Amino acid sequence: MPESGLLIRGLTTRAGSFELKDIDLEVAADKALVVLGPSGAGKTMLLHTIAGFRQAAGGQVYLNGRELTRLAPEHRGIGFVFQDAALFPHLSARENVAFGLRARGESRPDRVEELMTRFGVSGLAERSPRSLSGGERQRVALARALAFEPDLLLLDEPLSALDQPTREELRSVIQDLVSGLGIPVIHVTHDRDEAFSLADDLAVIVAGKLRQSGDAHRVAAAPGDAVVARLLGWAELGRGKATGGKVVIGEVSLDAGDHTGAVRVFYRPEEVLLAAVGSSSPAPPSVTARVQRITRTFPLARVLLGSDPPVTALMLRREIERFDLAVGKTMEVAMPADAVWIIGSAQN
Amino acid sequence: MWVLGGLLIAFILVPVVRLATTSSLGSLTHAAENAQIRDAIQLSLQDAAITAAIATVVGVPLAYVLARRRFRGRNFVQAIVDLPLAVPHTVAGIALLFVFGRTGWVGGPASHVGISFYGSQWGIVTAMLFVSAPFAVNSARVALEAIDPNIERAARSLGASPSFSFRHVTLPLAARGVITGAVLVYARSISEFGAVVILAFYPVTAPVEVYNLFLQSGLTESASAAVLLLFVSLATFLVLRTLASGWLFAGAERERA
Repeated sequence: MPESGLLIRGLTTRAGSFELKDIDLEVAADKALVVLGPSGAGKTMLLHTIAGFRQAAGGQVYLNGRELTRLAPEHRGIGFVFQDAALFPHLSARENVAFGLRARGESRPDRVEELMTRFGVSGLAERSPRSLSGGERQRVALARALAFEPDLLLLDEPLSALDQPTREELRSVIQDLVSGLGIPVIHVTHDRDEAFSLADDLAVIVAGKLRQSGDAHRVAAAPGDAVVARLLGWAELGRGKATGGKVVIGEVSLDAGDHTGAVRVFYRPEEVLLAAVGSSSPAPPSVTARVQRITRTFPLARVLLGSDPPVTALMLRREIERFDLAVGKTMEVAMPADAVWIIGSAQN
Repeated sequence: MWVLGGLLIAFILVPVVRLATTSSLGSLTHAAENAQIRDAIQLSLQDAAITAAIATVVGVPLAYVLARRRFRGRNFVQAIVDLPLAVPHTVAGIALLFVFGRTGWVGGPASHVGISFYGSQWGIVTAMLFVSAPFAVNSARVALEAIDPNIERAARSLGASPSFSFRHVTLPLAARGVITGAVLVYARSISEFGAVVILAFYPVTAPVEVYNLFLQSGLTESASAAVLLLFVSLATFLVLRTLASGWLFAGAERERA
């Protein structure tokens, strides 16, 4: 067992008929693990069980070599940040930050001041949480969770309740924080962008089960099953049968590698290449297709192509202008080999 | 809607105003100078205050359990809490007499150590407590249920023991509901007649004294004592109610808005 960091073995917990089962995770000190999963997957339940708000039905939690599984929350030394901040409404921002020290019978005004300054809320020290904006509350909550020098920091969707500019601002605050903290951090989210901007490691939880975990970029590049693939931004091209190292879906023929039998083929929409018909088209196998729909969002646009099977390309808006793309126009469509991922049906 | 509502308000207000204006200042002074009436009112105020204190101390922990824990039989426990609201008060008095009377389960052993419930202040408080305890529990429960459980979880994760968290987080946040409950218990206790008159006819509380005067001397004589009781209980109730909902918790008020 590692002397430092967080180790979770076979953790199981139940709420009614829902079960979070056999979770194995490891987070080194100074690493950030992002737990990604759809709403209702059991992510919050996992954090609550680690923090001791909820009793584990099985398994163990070790922090820095010490077993926490049966300890009361106040004896675990874990800082927790809630989605809605959960500040004490009857205390000032400063008193909120000082609470953890006060509960331990300590008074360290300089420590409190230091953290409030670090998170940019020292000017709000005397304010009531009610009068703070969502972003300010979350900054106070971060300072509060760290003031007593916890051995582990748990962040339960701390950005989900914020508007987008505040969310992006606070995301970089958390990014900076995590890199220099020296303690393990678990950040829970259902937002893929947020996950990749913060994660060293990634764990994907779906319906109470840990589907996949490991280095964030490795997990993203090689999803183990269809659900994880979709969560990580892969789009499904279709199902097919791999024979002789090839798989054919509609009019697209792809290299199937070692796969044989029924497979599902996924691709990354942002890697799909478009070119004008007849131009020196890119090397990968390409097809021609008519543009069926263009959905413009910021900063990207989705282009639905009526190939067989249909393909969605994700591109910068300025590329739309460059290609002079419009519904009905015919384009050359290509998919680079590293933008394609094949999952054997056994893993579905 | 306005007509029916107005009728109800008038129905409540007219008898009270009629009673309040029926007695001359002279007869009120006369009643106030009557030691027996004065003692009775004082006893009522005092025992209602004791009851409110006991109901709060005993009721808040139960309210917390009902608000926070999910256990089998929780609805049953809640039904038991509400039971005194449904029992006619004279019936409650008789039931209490079986338990707290001189030969009752509690009254018997207690009499050996010199505590008598029958015809004593203990009996009055017991009767008041039985009929008014639901107000303390329910009012506190509603306030406790309104507290975000994550706020208490936050306190625990920050190192607060359950008791530290309760004293410094839960209780301050529920204070308004707890005090409102105490005020309701107090008001209910002052007005209690049925259960008190059966379990502890003596010493005489104010409502019992008013009833005695009514039986002995008729409507006019009892009216001045009744008005006096009305003024005293209304005054204390209004003061307490203002304290509970007004400036004392102006901060809490804003939060709800």
